[in-house]
Amino acid sequence: MKKPYTPRKPRKYIGAYRPRIDGFEKASGQVKYVDDLTLKSKYPDMLYAKVLRSPHPHARIKSMNIEKAQTLPGVHTILTFQAPEFASMKPTSAGWTDGVDTVSYERMMWRHFKDRRVLGDKAHWVTDEVGAVVAAETEAIAEEALRLIEVDWEVLPFVLDPLEAMKPGAPVIHPEVSDNNVLPKETVGGSDVFVNKGNVDQAFSEADVTVEGTSIHHNATQASLDNWCCLVDWKDDKLTVISNSYETDQSRMHISEMLDLPLHKVRVISSYVGGQFGRGDTGDQPFFLFTAVLSKRTGRPVKFRHTRRESFHDSRQPAIYFGKVGAKKDGTITSMYFKSVGNSGAYADHTMFALKFAPTEISEVALAHIPNIKMESYGVYTNKLPACMMRGVGNSQFNLIFAHVVDMLAEKLGMDPIELALKNFGHEWGSIPDQSLTEVLKKGAAQIGWEQKRHSPGKGPIFENSKKRGVGFSFHPAWHAEWQEARRGLIQVGITVNPDCTVILEAPTVETGTGSNTCNVLGCAEALSFLGIGPEQISWPHVVDTEVSLKDCVQTDSAVAYLQSEVIVHAADEIKKQILLKVASILNVAPAEIDIAQGQVFNKATPDKTTPLKKIFYQGDLAPVVVKIGKTPNNERTGVPYIANFAEVEVDTDTGHTQVLKLVVINDCGTVMFASGAEGQQIGGQVIGVGEALTEEIIYDSTTGVPLNFNWIDYKIPTMADMPEVDPILLEVWKGAGEYGACGIGEGTVTCTPRAVLNAIYNAIGVRVNDIPVKPEKILKALGKAGGEL
Amino acid sequence: MKFIILKVNGKEHEFELGKDLSESTTLSQLLREKLGYTGLKISCDEGACGACTILMDGASVLSCMILAVEAQGHELLTIEGLPKDDSVIEAFANQCEPGYGTALQCGICTPGFVMSTKALLIENPDPTLSEIKQALSGHICRCGCYSGIARAVLNAARNTAQKAVQKKSDGSQR
Repeated sequence: MKKPYTPRKPRKYIGAYRPRIDGFEKASGQVKYVDDLTLKSKYPDMLYAKVLRSPHPHARIKSMNIEKAQTLPGVHTILTFQAPEFASMKPTSAGWTDGVDTVSYERMMWRHFKDRRVLGDKAHWVTDEVGAVVAAETEAIAEEALRLIEVDWEVLPFVLDPLEAMKPGAPVIHPEVSDNNVLPKETVGGSDVFVNKGNVDQAFSEADVTVEGTSIHHNATQASLDNWCCLVDWKDDKLTVISNSYETDQSRMHISEMLDLPLHKVRVISSYVGGQFGRGDTGDQPFFLFTAVLSKRTGRPVKFRHTRRESFHDSRQPAIYFGKVGAKKDGTITSMYFKSVGNSGAYADHTMFALKFAPTEISEVALAHIPNIKMESYGVYTNKLPACMMRGVGNSQFNLIFAHVVDMLAEKLGMDPIELALKNFGHEWGSIPDQSLTEVLKKGAAQIGWEQKRHSPGKGPIFENSKKRGVGFSFHPAWHAEWQEARRGLIQVGITVNPDCTVILEAPTVETGTGSNTCNVLGCAEALSFLGIGPEQISWPHVVDTEVSLKDCVQTDSAVAYLQSEVIVHAADEIKKQILLKVASILNVAPAEIDIAQGQVFNKATPDKTTPLKKIFYQGDLAPVVVKIGKTPNNERTGVPYIANFAEVEVDTDTGHTQVLKLVVINDCGTVMFASGAEGQQIGGQVIGVGEALTEEIIYDSTTGVPLNFNWIDYKIPTMADMPEVDPILLEVWKGAGEYGACGIGEGTVTCTPRAVLNAIYNAIGVRVNDIPVKPEKILKALGKAGGEL
Repeated sequence: MKFIILKVNGKEHEFELGKDLSESTTLSQLLREKLGYTGLKISCDEGACGACTILMDGASVLSCMILAVEAQGHELLTIEGLPKDDSVIEAFANQCEPGYGTALQCGICTPGFVMSTKALLIENPDPTLSEIKQALSGHICRCGCYSGIARAVLNAARNTAQKAVQKKSDGSQR
């Protein structure tokens, strides 16, 4: 039995180790995902949509002939980019919002990067969705129709590497946005040099010690098992869409603005979603719109879904980082400089969010005590898969360089990197050493056996003739705390107390697996303890439907679990007042004279004489008591706590193979909302983290630009047999504002894994590999055992 | 062969070739689209993720890699055919032992894991951790709940054994 965490404040339900509220429905296969909800048997007149995909990385359609395809039996409608609906449709960006707030077209986040046509004539990467869409009786017929469409392509020169794309004379991919492939300055992200504090150059020249390094973060993909899928039914003037988008209100806004429909005529429904991990940015993907147009044209419901191969549709933003750090002999860091070049792929999307927003936040938090900092970033178009958000947007990439230069500097100074970290990093709201960072690193070091296992790089014992072991760690400020979520605006929740004291909790959010639903039910049970009920008496409707639901709290920033729970606390106070009014009216007493505890009503003067609330309710009109409230996140600036990963690896110096032996994941959460769910996030995130560190990579044929491994056989996701033992450690050291003062943890669990593994590899073999995934050939090359280009 | 008969969860269903299915219809498609057994998921559709796992004659199979016409004459079991109090389902649903997280998050891969676990426990009622890892390594859980899943399988094995003992003693009392 592993050791449970120790809560700061004992609570009845919040922070519990217990099953998820949807555990049984999911384990028994009863939960329905969008593909299950939209079977042909349920929509007998449904058509299937497919979209033409470019075989070229960069090409323009000169002409198309759809005649043969149109005559294929079972083909209902084919529309090309020249159809008036598409030709007149506004250009868009798939990074419309950061997913946190709901915004209109005019307030779109990356309004200078409107580089996407919903259905255009120009392809920017192999498999780009362009040219024509088909609606047919079956998917097989739709696919066959696509093969019969004759396309005369003007094949254009392409570029895959961002450094090549920056050179003069490189093919220009989006001339409407940039004449040199470098994304122009944007009002949101700011200039190329986006942090410039003090005087970095002077500080470097005065430093006793400087180190510099590089790191390369590749384009792993989110790889949700629930491939993109939607069904659109546009009849008369009303459009209904069922999808596995992780947000409903923004999807409604997107569809309304792009198709010029009033909001009440767009109904967006989401139910359970089989994983999200950042996929799809705002959900405003073009296919919602072309599926809608096909439905309008055909007058029938139309289903569009990706195959798994087609669902290789987004990736993490790849980034090449250069980092330099200067310090005094005693380990005081005086200066830090970071420069990144991001491969945004075919469309800009959230490139600059990843490259600028995340490092800016870190500079305000972890680096707040460093007097001189400079950061600059360049996002570059290439003809690769568009890079978007993926679990821990931007932070994973920054961490790969950040904890690299910290490790390098510690070695050069002859210091323990833990000591170096504690001496320098905190946040602007606190002093050094930071209490949260201290606890996080102390606990992690103890659990991995840092003192016993850390040795000079490459100087540890050798196992089985060729294997070497090492330990390493990485750390990062967590995100997000409540104050960082202010942009969301109102967080709306509703509580309905039925006459029998059971409860319906409306805390709308698309259930993507994060466990926020369980957190909120626990929070509701905690806040309604005066009713004498537990989580079992609370139901949480899992369907979010813009026609009947309050605004959904979008599943990003790992923040939903506590954001809604904080509002539930206020809703519970309000509903208690309303219940007292109702009871007072039934009993014909003054509300101030009575109170409720444990589901029992009593007169304050005679607290020993109680009557069950249910009994009193049943004497009344039997109408439920309903409260719906909205509250903006508390913007009191409280800083954020820390997270860290410690890794132990074994590297076979003969084969280059790296085995992660153990991972310790430490999160200071503020308040643990649901311990089993939180541990699930800590453990679960390591699959993506280890995958990114060691195996996951999209590989392109450099001569044709064709991606070669859009499948799960060649794109290697760790399975149970690949994963080491993971020890999750939950801490409550820091606390934010509000009743719980929690912070998000899901995304952060991924952030530190690659660098922790890479630092452990260095500790094991004494040479550094900073280009992930660290495949065996990179290790062998670093060891001087293999030559050539990799 | 104009008609095929498939026996799913103990019940026989007749399908007409050319009308209900073609020679190339996969078992996973047929079970989902024609019979509504949506517990199995079609995710990769090429044998790489395990989400479509069902039991055929008591062994786990990938229903996306089997043609519907090949399944005639076999006993097929989907997750819908398991009893409500199935030990494996309960163990996956209830896993919350500290240190291992939950056995599921988004839940889309879970029915596949559950069915492979059923097959494993039929073959090996008391598996070790490394045997569990081996048996379930054909499944992808992108939420990464492998630690919780392993605990769930160990608990399911224990609970299945206990239920068997209970049943036996109930029987002997009678």
